[in-house]
Amino acid sequence: MTRKTFFKESKELFRDGRVRITMIIVALLMGVSIWISARQYQNINEQYKVAKTSERVIWDSQGEKNPHSAAHYGTYAFKPKYPLSLVDQGVDKYAGTSIFLEAHKRNEAQFSAASDQTGLARFGDLTPDFMLLFMMPLIIILLGYNSFTKENEMGTLTLLKSQGISSWKWVLGKWAALFLPILILTTALFMVAGLILSNLKDFGVFDWSSLLWMYLIYTTYYIIFVNLILFISAKTKKSGISLVVSLSLWILSCLAIPKAASNIAEERYPYPTRQEFAANVLKDKKQGLDGHNPWSKEAKLLKENVLAEHGVDSLHKLPFNFDAYRMQKGEEHEAEIYFKHYNYLKDQFAKQSKVYKGMAVFSPYLPTRFMSMAIAHTDYGTHWDFSDAAENYRIATQKFLNDDFAENSAYGNWGYRADANFWKQLPAFKYSPPKLDTILSQNFSNLSILSYWLIGSFALLLFIKKM
Amino acid sequence: MFSYNFRYELKLLLRSKWIQLLSIILLLLFGFSGYNGKEKVAKRKADIVAAKNEVKENDEMMLRLLDSIEKGMEVSASRWTIPTNPMVVGNYNPRVAAMEPQSMAFIATGQADLFTHYVKPKVTGDDFALNFTEMTSPVQLLFGSFDLSFVIIYLLPLIIIAFSYNVLSSEKESGSLRLLASQPIRIQNWVLQKLSLRFFWLSVLVIIALLITLSILGITWFSTFISFLILIGFILTYMLFWFAFAFLVNLGAGNSAKNAISLLGLWVLFVLLVPSTLNQLSTTLYPMPSRTLMINEMRGLKAEVAKKQDKILDNFLRDHPEYAINDTTQTRGFYHRYMASQQLVKEELKPVFMAYENQLQKQQAWVERLKWVSPAITIQESLNKMAGTSTGDYEHFRKQVVVFAETWRSFLTPFLYNNQNFTQNNYHDLPQFEFQPKSVTEQPKILGILLFIALSLFSIGFISSEKVKRKSMLKLL
Repeated sequence: MTRKTFFKESKELFRDGRVRITMIIVALLMGVSIWISARQYQNINEQYKVAKTSERVIWDSQGEKNPHSAAHYGTYAFKPKYPLSLVDQGVDKYAGTSIFLEAHKRNEAQFSAASDQTGLARFGDLTPDFMLLFMMPLIIILLGYNSFTKENEMGTLTLLKSQGISSWKWVLGKWAALFLPILILTTALFMVAGLILSNLKDFGVFDWSSLLWMYLIYTTYYIIFVNLILFISAKTKKSGISLVVSLSLWILSCLAIPKAASNIAEERYPYPTRQEFAANVLKDKKQGLDGHNPWSKEAKLLKENVLAEHGVDSLHKLPFNFDAYRMQKGEEHEAEIYFKHYNYLKDQFAKQSKVYKGMAVFSPYLPTRFMSMAIAHTDYGTHWDFSDAAENYRIATQKFLNDDFAENSAYGNWGYRADANFWKQLPAFKYSPPKLDTILSQNFSNLSILSYWLIGSFALLLFIKKM
Repeated sequence: MFSYNFRYELKLLLRSKWIQLLSIILLLLFGFSGYNGKEKVAKRKADIVAAKNEVKENDEMMLRLLDSIEKGMEVSASRWTIPTNPMVVGNYNPRVAAMEPQSMAFIATGQADLFTHYVKPKVTGDDFALNFTEMTSPVQLLFGSFDLSFVIIYLLPLIIIAFSYNVLSSEKESGSLRLLASQPIRIQNWVLQKLSLRFFWLSVLVIIALLITLSILGITWFSTFISFLILIGFILTYMLFWFAFAFLVNLGAGNSAKNAISLLGLWVLFVLLVPSTLNQLSTTLYPMPSRTLMINEMRGLKAEVAKKQDKILDNFLRDHPEYAINDTTQTRGFYHRYMASQQLVKEELKPVFMAYENQLQKQQAWVERLKWVSPAITIQESLNKMAGTSTGDYEHFRKQVVVFAETWRSFLTPFLYNNQNFTQNNYHDLPQFEFQPKSVTEQPKILGILLFIALSLFSIGFISSEKVKRKSMLKLL
């Protein structure tokens, strides 16, 4: 009986002209969005490679120079784009792509794409994640809103009652008929994405298991929607009302709640403004050791300690250049200050994340969105990870430069120049994003919220009766 | 017939609890979004005040130092933070260049979460290094803000759709259409009257809900009465649009569910698909040059300039003989070389950076032309402009800041090259930044055009249904 219901429903859907047209439009839009994203991905990656190599050339060919001048001259860390960003662009548009690494200062990533676009960008982009997260649930609504109401409206409910079909078999048939086209569409889409990705030149970072996880996340998301829409359809009397209620649910979970969550999160746990942040850092810096200031209290204290430690009475007798040593100590102190202030930001975001997770009780969109971005390496977490890696590299670079300065020159010798070949010895900046299992364990809470949604929405289906 | 319809419709709406439900929904939506808007504006104001206070404190400290030095006293500050040096003033005592919120800023967040509202340009560093983006969690930027403009652009149409999708079809489905057909009124007149009444009631509710929200939140709408009227104008015209769509779809004489689908399809098209497609097209047609490659170019240039600093200073002084005449000491230090080469870097990089502004302007102009494709875009643009949070407003601010940064620099550099000390007397001559908001003039024009389009939609519905009247009447019955 389940099978009969399934075939009947599928046939009905297939014969419906609107459904066919919508499916064609969706498939078309998907194709276009994938094509655009793939092109963007290749473009950006090419630029990334060029920028990275030419930045290194600029660094290597500084010529003879004082290491500390080179530290001020600095270098750049560029954020790469990862293959799965083809499926989910995440927050990439809003996060900067390059970090300037210089002496004494931790800089934030600069140049987000959104700041180079018009206000229209805030409506969203025609990207695969837009289609997957927003349009597919709409398709489910379109296919399923009248699944039960039509029986009532066409008068077939009376006929059904006379059949010896149990409620759950009937529901299962309808469920399968609604889910199958969605499953086919999603599977096809992910297959295409997988094929494109595995054919890209730098296949290295792409792995099929991430894509498979993404596929599972989205399928779960759609099952939740299928369940909810069927439940609404069963509990309302008229198709029109069922449609309007389903749509309200959609707009609530995909648009209204995320926005409201972002407002609540910001109000409760605000970020400082850029200027405030800079001022706070400056305040802390003033209280500590400044590598450039030998007259400060902290600098004098450091001098006494170092002299005592080495058992000498003059800085000139030290086996290294004390100027450079102080510079390095100052650098370490500043790095600590930045660590503290950036940790505050991270803390604020961790608290904001809790708000998002709390609101996820009302919206299956939220955990899906966060999971999908995390797997695609386009979430805020990956951005933090990258910026931390860049900071570690910056600190290591400063030490590399200051050490050379300290070891190869005498105290007071600011005229020291490092050899032109010296710069090449600095190891290149390498960054690899967190592995899939790390991501999954970090996002365990999002995964569990999503599974609660899955179980809960299935439980709702049990309440559907033929009456 | 109209008065009968009026009474009947009101009764129907009250008895079906539509009016009560709508009032609550509207109050909740306006209340929450208005509150969010108000909070954002309050934070923005507080941030600017805090920044200005900080500058004031620093200024007092600077004046104390100057006073001590001028009286010949010993000061305990480090050598390079003594404000008799004009470059110290220029770097450690910058002015706040702030973009004060407009009176209607609470209606639309626009780009306000993306861009900063105040910067402090210094004498060193280049204008391009001024970071105009705000420190916001990108997740927040991704989701956007639940502001009044979101309620108006996204949610209001859905309320209208839920309120009007079955005006005619429900009569057909409940069988009362036959009764109606015997009445001396044409069907499209009757639908029009019914929808007009619903439009009327919804408008009344929207205005009341808005007024209640604003007075509860303590937003003084009365002082900006004209802006408030224009806001109401935009909301009502946008509503009229969706009622026009509802009119057209209702006359199409499908069943209720089909009507709802068609209207929702229009919503998805105009509010989601058209804007995102246009955005994609604008970035494809006028692509931004790569920022990462720009960094390479900038770095290369700076490296070259750094090698030739002495020569650059010589050339600079040759171009500015006044500096050589006024100064008797002729001492030249780090800052002399730096400022001269900075000037050069700035001139050389100008075309590179202008490319971005130009490209953004081209995108903006393109969007400006195509905004008529979707009423949602038109309204979003208009509300953002009204709130002073559109892309154009921030561009306007950026330009003013760059001009101010130049004023700041050119006020202090003569001190530098003349090797003249900065004194207390010079303090009051320090340039101040005054933000000039972008004027909005085309609002009535936009309203007029929108109104014209909406009314044309109505007349299209009227005329086309006139032609197929016979056929459609038969189909309806």
